[in-house]
Amino acid sequence: MKEKIQKINDYEWLLPKTAREGMNVGAKIIANKAILDAIEDSAVQQLTNVACLPGIVEPVIGLPDMHFGYGLPMGAVSAFDSEKGIISAGLCGFDINCGINSIRTNLTVKEVKEKLKELVPALFNAIPCGVGSKGKLRLNYDELNEVMSRGVNWAVENGYGAKEDIKNTEENGCMPGADPSKVSDLAKKRGLPQLGTLGAGNHFLEIQKVSDIYDKEYAKKLGIVDKDQVLIMVHCGSRGFGHQIATDYLKIQERAVKKYNIWIPDRQLVCAPINSGEGQDYYKAMKCAVNYSFTNRLVMTQWIRETFEKVFKKSWEDMDMQTVYAICHNVVKLDKIKGREYYVHRKGATRAFPELPVIVAGTMGTASYICKGTELALDKTFGSSCHGSGRAMSRHAALRQFRGEKVNEELKQKGIIGKAGNWKSFAEEAPGCYKDVEQVVDSVHNAGISLKVVRMKPLGVLKG
Amino acid sequence: MEKYKFIEGLTSDVMFEVYGKDLKELFKNSALALFSVICDIEKVREEKTIDIEVNGDSLEDLMVNWLQDLIALVDTDELFFSRFEIIEINENNLKAKVYGEPISPEKAGVVVKGVTYYKLKIEKIKDNYKATISLDI
Repeated sequence: MKEKIQKINDYEWLLPKTAREGMNVGAKIIANKAILDAIEDSAVQQLTNVACLPGIVEPVIGLPDMHFGYGLPMGAVSAFDSEKGIISAGLCGFDINCGINSIRTNLTVKEVKEKLKELVPALFNAIPCGVGSKGKLRLNYDELNEVMSRGVNWAVENGYGAKEDIKNTEENGCMPGADPSKVSDLAKKRGLPQLGTLGAGNHFLEIQKVSDIYDKEYAKKLGIVDKDQVLIMVHCGSRGFGHQIATDYLKIQERAVKKYNIWIPDRQLVCAPINSGEGQDYYKAMKCAVNYSFTNRLVMTQWIRETFEKVFKKSWEDMDMQTVYAICHNVVKLDKIKGREYYVHRKGATRAFPELPVIVAGTMGTASYICKGTELALDKTFGSSCHGSGRAMSRHAALRQFRGEKVNEELKQKGIIGKAGNWKSFAEEAPGCYKDVEQVVDSVHNAGISLKVVRMKPLGVLKG
Repeated sequence: MEKYKFIEGLTSDVMFEVYGKDLKELFKNSALALFSVICDIEKVREEKTIDIEVNGDSLEDLMVNWLQDLIALVDTDELFFSRFEIIEINENNLKAKVYGEPISPEKAGVVVKGVTYYKLKIEKIKDNYKATISLDI
């Protein structure tokens, strides 16, 4: 399939809709040449599968962090006409509102490094990590309903976070229109014990130092003023609650494709017409998971603040531990772009609206970035950008190639303190399993869809 | 006979093939493969038993529902499982007893987010069954 790709410019590549039968639109990949050359042919093929779906709007987007996934690549954006299109639980994925919170501090690298050996284990005790840890916060059904409907507003009213956190979260931490009656009892049961838990896999909590500031003025608006400053990054999603909602609606939409006679090129791309009951019910249930996930990350943010208070003997306000921004990168949203409404499916993709932050997670041994969205992103990618560096090696291959303890030792030599519930996750998430984040960010920056603002490097890493 | 084998096929997730001489063994081995990702099945003891009944529109559907229900049980009952006894099975229904112990960080593996439909397949090859299953991690 890759031989059919045509160059638009050094950072944009077109796969025309004639590339294969059944495509309703073409696909576009944002990548520099090095990144493009490394993208699997099978991942490009998956973009063409999405291009076959009804109501898809030109073009399907592959971002530079894209890699082969189940059904469609991670790092993909597909926009559907708000009347004639479909909405798909498969295109959003299991981890609804998997996303990132960035939290700043006014602590210096020196201050944090002196306490790092105390701080990392203290955070590990404060934040339940991994599949083997029990959540500390046990909600009742009324509280869960509040979280589903009101998102981070519930958190702030209950002492998790502050009003400032709300305005620094995408959607103000609450997508309106969430309907708990569209969520199954099993999903709710899974959600009760898991609010305030990190999960495992590629989810992490990282302490970072600012290494470069590219846009001083914008960085200042985010409260990032100094290369010696320490930030914190939390990456996780809606846990078993969101996974169950996705699971439930994959089944519902599998029936819907038969009912509405929709042809899908891959069974994982199940969907329903946007304005059908099955379509809108999914959207309302998905919003419950979006709100749960925003709340999940804010609850953990507050526990991080409390842990810093204990270790540094200062209040979190005195350490200026404000949310820089909180974003999602697995979501469906009805976005109005240049006067037209679309159901934009971002799977492993971040919103990149003009002047709003974009957070790109690197690996535990490499840099992460804060960028800002642009007008060009609205023109080119339905206001979207990359979400991370993107995997290049399978977990299976990683376990053959890396040993967790050795990965940790190598991090230590770089001055990075790591802690994991299970060292296997360090092997599976070794920096060598991922693409070069510098090339990925170079691609989105030069394509003009999001511009570099701040680069961070890890000091401490916690994984499930 | 080999119970299951992890295969290359997904960059960020996990894919495996499962084998069984009959449906009971195929479904048992599928659960073992799943839990070898979630926890250390060699070390998880049989302290608790749960009875499960699962329905499905087809054999493949039944497989997805079986594994999904087990994944959900890890969250709702906070248990790891290491033994799976299929009592009865036909194309649309399965009754099983599953054995395990409370979750703990010491025996934890990775969170499995879901069983995907991607390349999902159950085949009968001569007298044996083979299933291909992929998980979202």
